[in-house]
Amino acid sequence: MKKLIKKTLIMTMALILIFSMVACSSSKNDDADKKDEITVTEGKKNEEAKKKPIKLRIYAQYADDDTKVPYDYALDALKKEMPHVELELDVQAQDDGQKIKTYAATGNLPDIFQANLDIINTFKTSNNIMVLDEYVEKLGFKEKMHPSAMNTLYTDDGHCYAFPYAGNELVLLYYNKEIFEQNGVEVPKTYDEFLQAVKVFNSKGIIPLALFAKEKWPCVALFDIFATRLEPQGILKLDRGEGKASEESYTVAAQRIVELVKAGLLPKGATNMNYDQAAALFHQGKAAMFINGQWEIEASTEALGDKVDWMYYPAYDQSTYESTKYAFSGGGGPSGYAVSPRSEYKDVAAEVAAFISLKYAECKYTMRGNPIIATKVDAPIVKPYPPMMQKLAQDIPKITSTTAFAWGLGNAKFKAAIEDNAQKLLTGFYSAEDFVKDMNKLLE
Amino acid sequence: MKLIKSKISRIIYQTFLWIYSLISLYPLVWMVFYSLKNNDEIFVTNPFGFPTNFRIENYINAWSRYNVPRYFINSLFVAFVTVLGTIILSVMFAYAAARLKWRLKDVARIYITLGMFIPVQVIMIPLAILVRDLHLNNTYLSLIIPYIAFNLSFSTIVFYGFFRTIPYELEESGYIDGASIYYTFFYIILPTIKPALATMIIFVFLSSWNEFTMALILISKESLKTLPLGLLFFQGEFTTDWGAMGAAMTIASFPTILIYLLFSEQVENALTVGSSVKG
Amino acid sequence: MHKYLKNKVAIIVFTLPALVVFSIIVFYPIIQTFYKSMFDWNGLGKGTFIFLDNYVRLLGDRLFYTSLRNGLIFAAVLVILQIGIGTFLALAVSDVTLKGRSFLRVTYFIPVVLSITVVCQLWLSIYNEELGLINKLMEQLGLSYRQHWLSSEKGAIYAIAVVNAWQYMGYHFALIFAAVKSLPEQYFEAARIDGAGKIKAHLNITIPLLYETYKFCLILAITGGLNAFANMFIMTNGGPGDATYTLTFLMYRSAFRVNEFGYGCAAAAVLVIECLLATIIINKLFGREQITY
Repeated sequence: MKKLIKKTLIMTMALILIFSMVACSSSKNDDADKKDEITVTEGKKNEEAKKKPIKLRIYAQYADDDTKVPYDYALDALKKEMPHVELELDVQAQDDGQKIKTYAATGNLPDIFQANLDIINTFKTSNNIMVLDEYVEKLGFKEKMHPSAMNTLYTDDGHCYAFPYAGNELVLLYYNKEIFEQNGVEVPKTYDEFLQAVKVFNSKGIIPLALFAKEKWPCVALFDIFATRLEPQGILKLDRGEGKASEESYTVAAQRIVELVKAGLLPKGATNMNYDQAAALFHQGKAAMFINGQWEIEASTEALGDKVDWMYYPAYDQSTYESTKYAFSGGGGPSGYAVSPRSEYKDVAAEVAAFISLKYAECKYTMRGNPIIATKVDAPIVKPYPPMMQKLAQDIPKITSTTAFAWGLGNAKFKAAIEDNAQKLLTGFYSAEDFVKDMNKLLE
Repeated sequence: MKLIKSKISRIIYQTFLWIYSLISLYPLVWMVFYSLKNNDEIFVTNPFGFPTNFRIENYINAWSRYNVPRYFINSLFVAFVTVLGTIILSVMFAYAAARLKWRLKDVARIYITLGMFIPVQVIMIPLAILVRDLHLNNTYLSLIIPYIAFNLSFSTIVFYGFFRTIPYELEESGYIDGASIYYTFFYIILPTIKPALATMIIFVFLSSWNEFTMALILISKESLKTLPLGLLFFQGEFTTDWGAMGAAMTIASFPTILIYLLFSEQVENALTVGSSVKG
Repeated sequence: MHKYLKNKVAIIVFTLPALVVFSIIVFYPIIQTFYKSMFDWNGLGKGTFIFLDNYVRLLGDRLFYTSLRNGLIFAAVLVILQIGIGTFLALAVSDVTLKGRSFLRVTYFIPVVLSITVVCQLWLSIYNEELGLINKLMEQLGLSYRQHWLSSEKGAIYAIAVVNAWQYMGYHFALIFAAVKSLPEQYFEAARIDGAGKIKAHLNITIPLLYETYKFCLILAITGGLNAFANMFIMTNGGPGDATYTLTFLMYRSAFRVNEFGYGCAAAAVLVIECLLATIIINKLFGREQITY
C-alpha cells in the first residue's frame, strides 16, 4: 500500500510538472518527463519554487463544519503538494444552482466547481463541464476508488465529469432504546409492529418519529423506506423511468405513510420543522425515532450516548424481513469536483480537483467519523467511530441494494414532483390514490 | 354619558396605537436576543425570551468569517450611488410624465412601471449576460446600474403621484418670472415634494441595502461583495448557524435604522415647509 | 404657458436617461423572457422553438392554478391589511395633538428596515405549533383554538401573506403619512374634532384627497402580492406539498430546480401580463382628472 502511495505521489509530481510546462507553453517530450521524475523526488522544493504561480478560481461549499473542515484540510495539503497553485474561493450559495448556472451562461465559470448530478446533466449538454475520463486514467483515480462506490465516478453515459468524494451514504432509522424499553415496545420488524409502536407511543404522549419535513428530502426518504421493502430499487426505478407509481411497492408505501400519519406518526407541524427542531425532539428524548442520513450518527451519539441505535427498516411482512433488511434507502451518485472546459489551466485544474476530492474523502474518513466515502484512504483514523458507525461498517459489505437521496435523482422533473408530493402525503389532506395518480401523470 | 363613551373610545384608540408600536418594535429586540443564542435556544428551549447566557461568540464568529468592514463599505457605497441615481432619474422622468405635455406620456409611465412586475430571478441570466457585454463585470457598476434600473419603477410612480397634486400655478409663476423650465423644476417644484423625496430616499436605500439575489449572482469578486452576501457563510446545505447569522444580520441592520431615523426627521421637517408653500 | 410645458428639449432631457437605463437593464431582459417562453430550453445551450406549447402546458398544470389563486389571495391580503392599517395609523399619527407621535411614527416603520430573513424567522417561531406564541397564548387563555398555521393546506398562504403584510405595512404608512402631511392645513383642520366626527371627516375629506397616493399604494400592494416569493421561499419552501406556490415560485422551481427555463419564462410572462392588467385597471378606476387643492 505504501509503495502504491509513493508511486502515485511520484507520478502526480511528474504530472504536475508536465502540466505546468504545457501551461507555460514550453514544449513537452517524453525524455523530459523521465528526467523530471527524478528531479522531483530529489529537489522538490527547488523545482516547485521555480514554477510559475497559478491562480485558480474555485466554487465550493464553505459554511458549516461538514464543509469547512474538509476544505481547509484539503487546502493545507494542497499548499504542501503544489505550492505554486493558489485557490481563490467563491463560497457556494444554497440557491438551487442559480449562481453556477449564471456563471455558465456568461462564460465565467470558475476553474473548479462542485457539481451534483443536476449540474452535471445540464452542463454536459452545453459543454460547460469537462469530460475527465482522460484524467481519471492519467491520475490513476479509478484505482483509488472503492469498487462499491464506482457509481459515483461515472454517469450513465459512461463518462466521468466530477471527481467524487462522498460515497454511497445511507438513510438510517434511528431510535431511542430507552424509550422503547420503558414503554415495553419491541424494536419493530414489520410494518404492523411499527404501526403498533406508533400507536403505543402516541397513547403515552411520546412523539413516535421526528422528521425535519420542512426540507423535502426526508419526506422522500420516508417514502423510499417503505417503497424499498417491495422494490429494492425504490424511487430510483421511477427516476430512471423504469417503473410506474401504480406498482404495488409505491402504492403500498403511499398508503402506509397516510395510515401512519393518521395514527400520529409525526409531531405537530412536522412539515414546517427544520433539522434543529426535529433533532432536538429526538436528542432530548421527546421523540422515539428519527430519520436522517448516517452522518447523524455523530450528533445523536453525542446527545444520547449508548441510548441510541439504528434499526433495519420495518419489513413489508414477517416473511420478508430477513431478505430485505440489507436493502437500504439512500445512496450516492456522480458528484464532486468538476472542471470548467474554458479554464485557462485545464490540466492543473483537473489535477487540483482530483487532489482536493481525495483529501476531502481522507478528511471525512479520518476526522469526521465517516467511513462512507468514494475513495480509499490509507491514513490513520484520528477520531474513533461511535458504536452505531461500527455496526454500520460491519453491515456495509452485506448491503444488497441502495437507491438515492432526493438530491441525487437525475430526472429533475421527477425529483421536484416527488419532493412536493411526498411532503404532501404527510399533511393528511392528500390521499395515496391522488399521490399515485399525480406521480403517474408526471412519469408519462 | 357621551363624554365617558368618547373617553373610553379614546383610551382604546390610544392603547391600540401603542400596542401596535410595541409589536413593530419587538422584532428588533427579538433579533438582538436571537443573535445571542445558539440553535437549541432559538428553536426549542427559548425562542422568544431573554437569552440565558449571552453568546457574544456569535458576534466574534460573524465578524471573523468575512471581512465585515469591507462588505460594509461596499454596501454603503452601492446604496449611496443607487439612491442618488434612482432619485435623480425617477424624479425627472416623473415630472415630465406628470406635468409636461407630450403624447404617449401615459404609455411611457406604464412602461416604466413594468419593472415592478417581473420577478428578478427570471431575468437574472439575461441580465448577467448584459452586464458582461457592457463590460461591467467586477465593478461596482455591475450592481449599481441594475439597482437603479429596478428601483426606477416604484419611485417613478410615487413621484408621479405627488407631482399630480401640485397646482399649475407654480409653473406659471416660473414662466411669468421668465425662468427656464429647468430652473422652475429644481427651485420651485422640487421643494414642494420634499416629503416624498425623503421617503423615497429611505425606500431606495433599504432596497439596495437588503438586496440579496442580484448581489449573489452579479458579484463574484470578494472585494466587491455587499453585506447581505455575508449570510452565505452561515448557511450550509443541511445546517445553519442561526445565532451567528442573527449576529451578522444585527450588524447589517443597525446602519439602516440610523439612516431611517435621520431621514424620517427630514420627512417631518420637510412637511411643514411643503404645506406652507402650497397653503 | 402651454408652450412652456411642451418644451421638447426639456421633455427629452427629463425622460431620456430613465428610459435608456430602464430599457436596457429591465425591458430588454423582459423581452428575452417572453421570447424564451416559446422555447423548450434548460437555461443553457440551445433550445428548441415550440411556439406556444409552454403556455398550453401551463393551462393544463394544476400547479399553475394553485399559483394563480395564491397570488390573488396574497394580493388581497396585502391590499386590505397594508392599506387599511397604513391609512389608520398614518391618520392617527398626523394628528398633532397625539402624545408621543414622533416615537410612534418611527416605530411603525421598523419592520420594513429589517431583513426579510429575520422577519420570516420570527414568524416561523410565532406560528410554531408546539412552542409558537399564538398557540401558547391560546393555551394560556384556555382556548382550544390551536391552528396548524403553516402546515395547513388552505391556511398556510394566508399565514404567510399576513407576515408580508405586517412587515411592509410601513411602506404604505410612510407614503400615506407623507401625502397627508402634504395636504394644505385647512383641509386637515376639519378632522381635528374628536370621536365619530373625526372618522367621518377623514372619510369624506382627507381620504378622497389622497386618491393619487392610493393609486400607487394599490399598485404596490397588488404587484407585490402577485409577485410574492421570498416569504414562501424562506418559510415553507412552497409547502406543505405545493400549497403555497405562487407564479414566481413556480417560475423559480421550473427554471432552477427542474431545468425547464422556457416553461419558467412562460409562468413569468403570465405574471407580467397579470400585473400589467391590474395596473391598467387601477389607472382606469382612478382615472379622473387631476385635482389640485
